[in-house]
Formats: sequence, C-alpha cells, structure tokens
Amino acid sequence: MFDGNRKYLKVTFLGVAGLLMAGAVVFGLPNPQQGSSSAKSDQWLHVRVVNSDDRGQTVKINVPLELAENVLPAINKEQLHNGKLKIEQAHMNDVDLHALMSAVRNAKDGQYVTVTGGDQDVRVSKQGDRLMVHVEDKNKDKNNGKHGDKAKSSEVEIKIPMRVIDALLSAGKDELDVVAGLHALAAQGDTELVSVKSEDSTVRIWLDSKNGGE
Amino acid sequence: MMLLAKFALGMASTMAVAGAYTFHEGLVHVDEYQSGGTHLHLWAPAAMVPIAVRFVPRHQLQAAGENLKPVLPAMRKLAKELRKYPNSDFIEVVDGKDYVRIHTHDGKLQIDVQEPGQTVHVACPLSTLEDMSGELESILPGA
Repeated sequence: MFDGNRKYLKVTFLGVAGLLMAGAVVFGLPNPQQGSSSAKSDQWLHVRVVNSDDRGQTVKINVPLELAENVLPAINKEQLHNGKLKIEQAHMNDVDLHALMSAVRNAKDGQYVTVTGGDQDVRVSKQGDRLMVHVEDKNKDKNNGKHGDKAKSSEVEIKIPMRVIDALLSAGKDELDVVAGLHALAAQGDTELVSVKSEDSTVRIWLDSKNGGE
Repeated sequence: MMLLAKFALGMASTMAVAGAYTFHEGLVHVDEYQSGGTHLHLWAPAAMVPIAVRFVPRHQLQAAGENLKPVLPAMRKLAKELRKYPNSDFIEVVDGKDYVRIHTHDGKLQIDVQEPGQTVHVACPLSTLEDMSGELESILPGA
C-alpha cells in the first residue's frame, strides 16, 4: 500500500517539477535578444553640460537618433506636428531661409560673415559640407583680466552639415522637418556639432555610435 | 489515492502556469524613502497592471486620462522604441546633492531620484508601459 502511494507521490512531484521548469522556460527566462546591451549599432546624440561651480552640476543626455526619429512624429503639441516644426514668419524678420541656404550651398568655401564688436566676435563660414558658426564672447571686466586686458569669457562653436540643413528645410517655407534633419544627421557618422567653453562651464553636443557617450 | 495524486498534479500545474504567467513580464517596483521615517515599498506583478486598469471605474479613468490623452500615442511609441535599448543610460543629472538618473536595465525603465531627505526608485517593465498606454488609448475616446 505504502509503496504504491510513494510511487504515485513520486510521479506527482516529478510532474510538478517538470511543469515548473517548463513554465520557467516558456514564461520566466529573459529573452536573449532583450538582454543584449544595444539593439543596433545606430547613432546616438549626446549632450554633456559640466559646470565647475560649487555644486558641480553635470548633465548627461544620450538619445538614440532612431528613437527620436520614430517618437517625434507621435508628438503633436504647439508648433511641433508630425515631426515638423512650424516657424512663425514674425520671428524670421522676412529672411527667406531657403534662398539664403541655396546661396550658401552653391558658394565656395570661405568666411561669409564677420562681426567684430566690443563684446562679441561672430564668424560664419563654410568649410566643405559644413556650415560653421563661431561666437566669441569677450569680457571687459577688470577682475577677469590682468591690467584690464580683454579676457575671453566664452567660446561657442557650431558645425552643422549642409545636408542636415537641407533636410531641415525640405518641409516647406514655414516649417522645419526635424525628423528628416535627424535622419540626415544619422547618416553623418561620428561628428561634433556644438561646443561651448566658458570659464565655469562646458557644453558639448556630438554624435557617435556609443550608447554611453564620452 | 490515485485520484488525490491526479488532483494535486492538476492544482499544482495550474498554479505553476498561473504563477509563471503572472510574473512573466516581471515586477513593477516602487521604493520611496523620506527622512521623516516614511518608507514605501511597492512590488506588483507587471502583467496585472493592464488587467487592473480594466477594473477602475470608467468615469474616474476618463477624468484622470484627460491630461494624459495628448501624450498617450507618444508614450506608447516611446515605450515601444525603448524596448530596443534594454540596457542604456539616457539621462543623468547631478546637481550638488541632488541626483536624477533615467535608464533602462534588463528591459525595465528605471528612474532614480535622490535629494537630501528623500530617495525614490521606480522600475517598470517597458512591455507594461507599452501595454498600459495602449490600454488607456483604447479606453479613452479620442486618444
């Protein structure tokens, strides 16, 4: 009698153990694809802000371009609709952006705009397939420079690929196609876009295929 | 005895499958610590969340969902896209003693916030976020 019962219990336990294992395999174990560190070797947009003040503020933002391209069209708020940003003509001061960029695109490499002022120097130039903007902020504060010399307080450098500008302007007269711009950016490969250096902070915006940045 | 063993096997297998299904999406995990002594720990099976939404009274859900309605499609799309990046850092902010980190770990969206006197950790499976936003979209008219 007891031998028979033991046999049934053994079968029952084996059955339960088998079912538990099967359940764990079917439902419980992580998907090997999900466990991989990155789905694709696609491009990431990185933003770094480092403040060297007392609080030591740092901001690190990493955004996969593919994610931004796919999510932006789903955001419809204020000026942003279907991945396109509406530009108010009132903010354009009657400047025809398309005509301006067309002229720049067809022009030879060189420096186009140079503004030298008391507080700020601005240079806009074209180098190869990039539009470069360089802004240098000067500080006349005597405390910052020896003998009242002009001390450089901040330097901004922006490098925008022409193809990205073309893609941004491809939507129409009063719109910027942000999704097309991101798509064109993704095709650029590793590149530095914005760099700001000042006495107490640095800002970098760049593109690479690393998921963590730096 | 044979009948009892069969019954036990049936019960055990049902529980095993139900248990495995309940936890197959993982857990929603919320931890909050406050310096006043308040601690909150919430662990809930992620698969239960979209089901639980169905039991919330419709009028209350609609009232609460009015604010969410414009962002639901973007939220669902974001959750879907984030699943392609199961282990990634997206945002990290350090400001003195304040700290915020938004990242994914093993297919979960994790938000860590620390400030003097308060610490909050939230972890939610991305699949649950996608299911939830889809569920809310289907419930809320015009979403």
